[in-house]
Amino acid sequence: MAVGIEPSQQAPPKRLPPPRGARWRAAQRVPQGVRSAAASAVLLAVLFVLVQIGVASGALRQTGLPLPTEVVGSTLGLLGTGGFWSDFGRTCLEIGASIVAGCALGLGAGIVFWKLPLLGRVFEPYLVSFYAVPLVLFYPMMIVLVGINAGSIIILSSIMAAIPLALNTRTGLQGIRPVHLKLARTLQCNARQTLFGIAIPAAAPMIVAGLRLAVVYALIGSIAMEFTTAQNGLGYRIRYLYETFDNKTMFAYIFVVLILSVLLTVLMAMAERVLLRGRR
Amino acid sequence: MEGIHLNDVHVQFDHPSGITIAVDGVTQQVPPRSFVSIVGPSGCGKSTLLAVIAGLQPATSGSVDINGRRVTGPDRDIGVVFQEDSTLPWRNVRENVEFAMQMAGVSKGERAAKAAAAIELVGLKGFENSYPATLSGGMRQRVALARTLALQPGVVLMDEPFAALDQQTRIFLGAEVRRIWEQTHQTVLFVTHDISEAILLSQQIWVMSYRPGHVIDVIDIDLPDERDASIVSSPRFNELHNRVWTSLQKESMRGFQDVETA
Repeated sequence: MAVGIEPSQQAPPKRLPPPRGARWRAAQRVPQGVRSAAASAVLLAVLFVLVQIGVASGALRQTGLPLPTEVVGSTLGLLGTGGFWSDFGRTCLEIGASIVAGCALGLGAGIVFWKLPLLGRVFEPYLVSFYAVPLVLFYPMMIVLVGINAGSIIILSSIMAAIPLALNTRTGLQGIRPVHLKLARTLQCNARQTLFGIAIPAAAPMIVAGLRLAVVYALIGSIAMEFTTAQNGLGYRIRYLYETFDNKTMFAYIFVVLILSVLLTVLMAMAERVLLRGRR
Repeated sequence: MEGIHLNDVHVQFDHPSGITIAVDGVTQQVPPRSFVSIVGPSGCGKSTLLAVIAGLQPATSGSVDINGRRVTGPDRDIGVVFQEDSTLPWRNVRENVEFAMQMAGVSKGERAAKAAAAIELVGLKGFENSYPATLSGGMRQRVALARTLALQPGVVLMDEPFAALDQQTRIFLGAEVRRIWEQTHQTVLFVTHDISEAILLSQQIWVMSYRPGHVIDVIDIDLPDERDASIVSSPRFNELHNRVWTSLQKESMRGFQDVETA
């Protein structure tokens, strides 16, 4: 109930019966985040139960889906094995490193393209068309150059993450309201002050949108390349289990990847709230 | 050499189709601690002149001196309040007001004290933690004003700061600016196209002609120092209004003709 979440709110006078619809209004006072989290939880639970019934009754036999309860059970079982943590750690390292490197690269490139418009105009068409290319295709080339290791995956995933961020950063910086730059001039801001005090915060909505894309691309890139060729990692393991017909364990790994992506999305939403504080 | 001194300021813009003379030889001065307004038809170069004084735009020829120093570029001692909303949407009111001081390297403690004083001066007490998105246009202009005043610049330049606001807010904020000026007595140069606003606020009005812009009339406003919006109905106000309007009328008509024949 709302009272539990917002203890500071005043209790209604006891003698009066609560007006019609009071429960609904109380529900509306619950923070948006809590409500949508609750909605997602209910939705997932319903899906879980439906699949469970479907598999148990044989209606979903064709799909090869194991019982969700078994998947949860084998996922929990995975947590005790060293092999799982080695795969998980490797994938997290790849994703983390490509997010960090990709963001640095993308932000830097976006700023350079903004500062040097000629360079920006020359490179933008290439970036835009590169954006549409499934860069995973260059993985074999990268393997030849770097080897079958985390390095080659991190390099390509970083580039995949950097491109949307670079484009968004440039667009955001170009959209700064001229009056804000005029303000910076009248206050005699130096280049650093103008960049960090005005330009980047002003472009923040676009940059944050680019950041979301960067994180998604780093995740997709890393898992997909592991899936193709690797010696370790969640993507590699899923493929291995799939080839050895270990359905139950494979779904446990897929479940872990799903949790990882949900976790990243939630983290990004939280970062967005902090970075875009005060704005609509 | 206190105050603002303009010595034969010319500004012209070259473009492919020819040359536009925006400001054509303005020689005037704003005495220290006084409030002067520039009134003129739109396109008369008054904002250009203000940009030159602010050091944002170089003059083609001529010079500007402020408190004995030649203007060669932007200077923190020249406070500017813009026509557009210049509040920073990612900072709350207090952080917005502190921004100018932060860029100038003012210490944290001093910043907080001066920001609090400036916020109180513009009547935004209680809104320190609000973000611009939740404030009205008039309140955002107050934030911009507080940000400029908190730096305590030698001169304050205002470029039609209330042009985007509705009539009521505009009169109300005009009276506020006058009240604030009576407290701070900073040297102010105020650009507007609103004659009543100019008379209500200033000690002196410069009337600018349509392009090429130069000052065609200087009118001293001999209204009492203590004035509020009620002075608008006094006979003297009407006389001054007529005087400014007569000077301006010919110029506005010329501007219209120019636009229509263009």
